[in-house]
Amino acid sequence: MLRYVTIKIDGAFIRAPRGTSVLDTAIEYGICIPHLCHVSGLTEIGACRLCIVEHEVAGRARVTTSCTLSVQEGMVVWTNTDKIKRLRRNIAELLVAQAPNSRAIQDVALRCGVREVRYPFRNQDCVLCGRCVRACAEIWQARAIGFVGRGKERRVDYPFGRRPDFCKQCNYCVQLCPMTITPCEGPMKNGEERLCGNCESQLMAAEENPDGCIWCQLGEGFQCGRYV
Amino acid sequence: MPELGSFIDLEALRERIVREREPLRNTLIICGGTGCQASRSRAVIEAVREELVRQGLQDGVRLRVTGCHGFCEQGPIAVVEPGRTFYCHVRPEDAADIVSETILQGRVVERLLYTDPVTGGKVRTEPEIPFYMAQDRQLLSQNRLVDPCVIDDYLAIGGYSALARVLAGMSREDVIREIQSSGLRGRGGGGFPTGRKWAECHEAPGDEKYVICNADEGDPGAYMDRCLLEGNPHLVLEGMMIGAYAVGAHQGYVYVRNEYPLAVDHVRTAVRQARELGLLGPNILGSGFSFDVQISRGGGAFVCGESTALMASLEGKAGEPRPKDIHTVVDGLWHKPTVLNNVETWANVPSIALQGAAWFSAKGSPGSKGTKILALTGRIKNTGLIEVAMGTPLRTVVHDIGGGALNGKAIKAVQTGGPSGGCLPVDRFDLPVDFDALAQAGSMVGSGGIVVMDEETCMVDVAKYFLAFLQDESCGKCVPCRLGIDRMLEIVTDITEGRGTLEQVELLEDLADTVGQTALCGLGKTAANPVLSTLRYFREEYEAHITENRCPAGVCQALITYVVDPEKCTGCGVCLRACPHGAIRGDKKQIHEIDALLCQRCGICRSECKFQAIRVH
Repeated sequence: MLRYVTIKIDGAFIRAPRGTSVLDTAIEYGICIPHLCHVSGLTEIGACRLCIVEHEVAGRARVTTSCTLSVQEGMVVWTNTDKIKRLRRNIAELLVAQAPNSRAIQDVALRCGVREVRYPFRNQDCVLCGRCVRACAEIWQARAIGFVGRGKERRVDYPFGRRPDFCKQCNYCVQLCPMTITPCEGPMKNGEERLCGNCESQLMAAEENPDGCIWCQLGEGFQCGRYV
Repeated sequence: MPELGSFIDLEALRERIVREREPLRNTLIICGGTGCQASRSRAVIEAVREELVRQGLQDGVRLRVTGCHGFCEQGPIAVVEPGRTFYCHVRPEDAADIVSETILQGRVVERLLYTDPVTGGKVRTEPEIPFYMAQDRQLLSQNRLVDPCVIDDYLAIGGYSALARVLAGMSREDVIREIQSSGLRGRGGGGFPTGRKWAECHEAPGDEKYVICNADEGDPGAYMDRCLLEGNPHLVLEGMMIGAYAVGAHQGYVYVRNEYPLAVDHVRTAVRQARELGLLGPNILGSGFSFDVQISRGGGAFVCGESTALMASLEGKAGEPRPKDIHTVVDGLWHKPTVLNNVETWANVPSIALQGAAWFSAKGSPGSKGTKILALTGRIKNTGLIEVAMGTPLRTVVHDIGGGALNGKAIKAVQTGGPSGGCLPVDRFDLPVDFDALAQAGSMVGSGGIVVMDEETCMVDVAKYFLAFLQDESCGKCVPCRLGIDRMLEIVTDITEGRGTLEQVELLEDLADTVGQTALCGLGKTAANPVLSTLRYFREEYEAHITENRCPAGVCQALITYVVDPEKCTGCGVCLRACPHGAIRGDKKQIHEIDALLCQRCGICRSECKFQAIRVH
């Protein structure tokens, strides 16, 4: 038997099954919390930090990721305060400066309010969201890829750099990878990277309803939980 | 030795040890800590041992090799009891003099005494040395009395009596209440109330609980945990036993980094000795309480000092932190309730259990009780490991204990709390060493590293140094820490190399705030502190780099030029010969010149010049 709790997201009372995360609950109820490393059914690692919310505890607001925050009776959460919007925009800006060659990342950056990138672009191929690593280990029980190295050296790789026999070549890692969706006008060359912004018009509806899900096309790009 | 089956056995053993030692009054204490070993104290110890045998004194004089005394720059250190005569910079050749003069005849060997750099006078005993005078050494003073590899030494000074007291007559709730009312706060950096942590773990459901001692000390220049584990491992173990009893754990772990071989060795010996005596294992002292400790060696990753990363590492996984929405006191090691405390926190527990919360909380400031060990380094006269009561002003630490600036330079700032801490300017030196006061000022007590900086330190360069350290040590899991620190370093490097813009300073501030608020673990959350605190107190230095293309401290190589002061130059030619780039010209006895185009700004000429004739602009 499911037990339900009542929580308050952006002032609205919402009933959610015990044990679910705030992010899943919000998506279920059409509240938009941008996210990248979250994939329904995989363990949450809280790596991309895009899904941050303000969790009100004893009168003080604590910034935390909604994917790792389990719902609890009486919980009060704000998903779209000015502070959260600013922090989220800054994180998305870091991401898009690192990997502009992904429509998914471009879209999520746009949705998070990035209008200019203040850092030099780097054009890398991986943002280390870990979707592939977790899918490989948790859905297929294969563990054919994992994180290697620390800090700047961190990357996704096979054990000892060689594809092992237990890799099932299911291609699921590729399907989940946000970097495989290239920008509409094709991949950007080194030195020509920019914030694409082609889909900005879609945000008009979002601006009127800042924390509501508008079923935007943007979500398709970054595989928003709403579309899965 | 037989196992101790009861409290009476423990007291009987203690009495026997004290009685047997009564006749041996002469003791020669030599520091065998890592600091003194680096200045060859092992050779001194061997020489003294041989000398004692040669003079037939091996049974009449006790030679005690102890842990760190704190004054490492004066090492190797030797102390002669009774009288506490303090000798520093002892060499193996001095062994004969120490034994025949001081031990046999009670005369002082003048040349080995400590010279006060402020007054220039000689000081005979340890308590008279200004470095020690202003301190309050509750934990560190025990190092002098104990050979870390001899459990008898620890028993002789009353060791394990706190454990006996707790096991004999205190309930778990009593112990927790005592720690709570003592006001003890975590010494590892966070300053979380230890008693509250214990209480939460005690109340957490589950039969299997763990206690962990965090000895993964990684701040550059800090070594208080190493010193405690090396010098007095039984004190830490006793603290862990009391904590385990209070929360209901039966298994403990000491997570110590492999770079501390001596600490690993001493803790291992201590655990073995405690097991032999029955102080670890089943049914300790006949009380029915069982507890054992395992030692786990870490690979030296800075991030493994973070509690969840440490637990992941203990479990055999990669040392990466995980979100702490559920606290580790409920869901910790192997998803069981776990209490993790720093070495120094554990070391404070036995004395609280023995002497009471009131005794402990009598020292310190309203919010922070007891004493704190600090690693004092930087551009001051006396450096080393010190212990002061919480609430002691930074001024006392820097000037009274540290002896003030080196070479008559002006002190500019103090950096507290290691890479996660911040820089405080000289006009904030009235601030006390206190968790809340320092946090409010934008820094933190942290694990207790204090680096004093003078006018020749560039604050932008300091921020760059710590950012580079943190970028190297970040695990790379979360975006704000991995990319944010990287971008902050990029901006600060731009500024130090003359490419900075004023907009970048604003971006830096915005980014630093974002990283601090959104990073996954403590490493990332505090990574912005060096940037934020230097921006807060030394913004004009950042601006000088950008708008005037000038490094006020003369550190940042891209922004400085070396010139010869014509009034001081004697034309000796030393700089000309020393310059590896051939950038200096000049005839003998004539004023020399530096060719700005050829000069690589290495600073060799400046350090070679005996007349201070080379200046930095």
